[in-house]
Amino acid sequence: MAETKDKIDPPVTLVEPIDMSRLDSSFRKEIQSMPDGNELNACFACSTCTAACPIANQWTYKPHQLIRMILLGMREEVLSSKEIWECLTCFQCQERCPQNVRVTDILFDCKNLAAEEGKVPDSIKGLAKELIEKGQLYVITADWEREDLDLEPEVPGMSTDEFREILKATRTGKIVGGE
Amino acid sequence: MVTHPVLVIGAGVAGLTAAVELADSGVQTVLIERNSTVGGNALDLYKAFPTDDCFYCFEGNRWRPGIRKCFYRSALLDQPNLTLKINTTLKEVTGEPGKFKVVLSIGPRYVDPVKCIMCGICMEHSKAFSLISPQCQPQAVVYNPDKADEGVARAVEECPTKAIDIEAQPSEETINVSDIIVATGYHEMQPVNVDEYGYGRIPNVITQLELARMLDPNGITGGVLTRPSDGERVKSVLMIQCVGSRDEKYYPYCSKICCIFALKHANIIALERENVSVNIVYMDIRTYDRYERYYREAREAGVNFIRGRVQRVKPSENGGIEAIVYDSLLNRYLKFDTDLFVLSSALEAPKGSEEIIKALGLRESNGFVAPADLETEENVVVGDHVYACGTALGPAEVPESVTQARAVVSKILQSRM
Repeated sequence: MAETKDKIDPPVTLVEPIDMSRLDSSFRKEIQSMPDGNELNACFACSTCTAACPIANQWTYKPHQLIRMILLGMREEVLSSKEIWECLTCFQCQERCPQNVRVTDILFDCKNLAAEEGKVPDSIKGLAKELIEKGQLYVITADWEREDLDLEPEVPGMSTDEFREILKATRTGKIVGGE
Repeated sequence: MVTHPVLVIGAGVAGLTAAVELADSGVQTVLIERNSTVGGNALDLYKAFPTDDCFYCFEGNRWRPGIRKCFYRSALLDQPNLTLKINTTLKEVTGEPGKFKVVLSIGPRYVDPVKCIMCGICMEHSKAFSLISPQCQPQAVVYNPDKADEGVARAVEECPTKAIDIEAQPSEETINVSDIIVATGYHEMQPVNVDEYGYGRIPNVITQLELARMLDPNGITGGVLTRPSDGERVKSVLMIQCVGSRDEKYYPYCSKICCIFALKHANIIALERENVSVNIVYMDIRTYDRYERYYREAREAGVNFIRGRVQRVKPSENGGIEAIVYDSLLNRYLKFDTDLFVLSSALEAPKGSEEIIKALGLRESNGFVAPADLETEENVVVGDHVYACGTALGPAEVPESVTQARAVVSKILQSRM
């Protein structure tokens, strides 16, 4: 509050900043209220999660940045990111986090929220479709491995019909356009 | 047997502790204070870490009778071995270690603290009279001749106890002392030269100590956070750490306690004030000593931490402040519209400490008093029969200042055995 003589403002720059007032400050609370988000606020941005991540070198947003973005309220960018879907769920980040932030689980929460809003990448939709149609992602075939192990070519009693029905009624069904 | 008194320079946390404990141990002690009240910077704090309590209420002082908030008051009033001299500075030191001859300049005593009953009549008549703090000690109003107006004469006349003497003159006193304790404390840097923050140019840019005064229920706003520019309620606060600290242009050192007091203030705002958001821009958060919990609590309270620096600050159209911050974790720029921009400014050596260091022939480090022997761990020994404690030695927290003051007392008592 001390007074000094007038000074000239710093020069105008070409920076286009993110306007904090346009972000969704409730996003943090939304994630926090989800089953694994209660330790979200504990993040102090050490970036241990990113150091542990086997895939983050290919990502635009690293795991610690995704957590920062959640805390800042960058809902749109987080839920539309490809990164949350590319997570390998190896849980290395979560295991190593010094503040017990459940990073992997929080990325699951983000995926659930994104799916609720229909923001699911086509590759994931393809997998869901496969599940709904076949009841399994990898169809067991009569191949040489089974032969080598002296197993019958067909899995006895294998039926995915019921499972397909159940999946259709879940959010997996919703992803492919069911109700 | 040494009978000369001990001189303590500065009546802040460290000086008060040293003086009171020496006096309690039977040593004659003269405590001099440049200002009109004891308490130093801590007087302006609403809560002090690590107890979030009034600064002097640490374990070890609690045996003294009196209300919990002000143990030191009863010592200053009742302890016969302790002489407090306010508005007093060190003018000259001669003699030899153990037998110093000290000349003190004592400011005019316009208001007799023994007679003053703090009725407030003088303050009603003239702006020249004021009460620095309800916690002030001595408990008396203060007269500032620079603000003298036509009401002064009436104030003098109507003072029920005739405590005011506006003709009072400064004086000098020479005393012999055996030991000198330097407890001159710190000063919060006024960051007027750090252009990008606009301090001194934009009214809603303040320092942490100014924020502390604002948060104090005894302060001008009664603890309500308002914008200095227009008195509007504050809805968001942006803090910036390391202003002038760890900066070769100002002070190369870490001021050590700014992170914790910023976190303390952030927690008070986030947890005790309704609907005020807090953002802290930092380069590193260093919760020196055992105070990581403040950081954890702040994060849990929803305080936003942005690692990066401020690009520019300017007044916004709605009367607040628009700040553009570079977030180095995201590699993005963020624009904040905030009401208060709080600078965690460096702690520097106070005005006058250079003269004291010179007068006593002490070593100096970044303006603060340095230990006489850097090889030993006896930081408080700064010369022959000269000691220092608290922030006179550099930025320190309250418990550390108290511990150092007690170390000094222990050294002096041992030397007298």
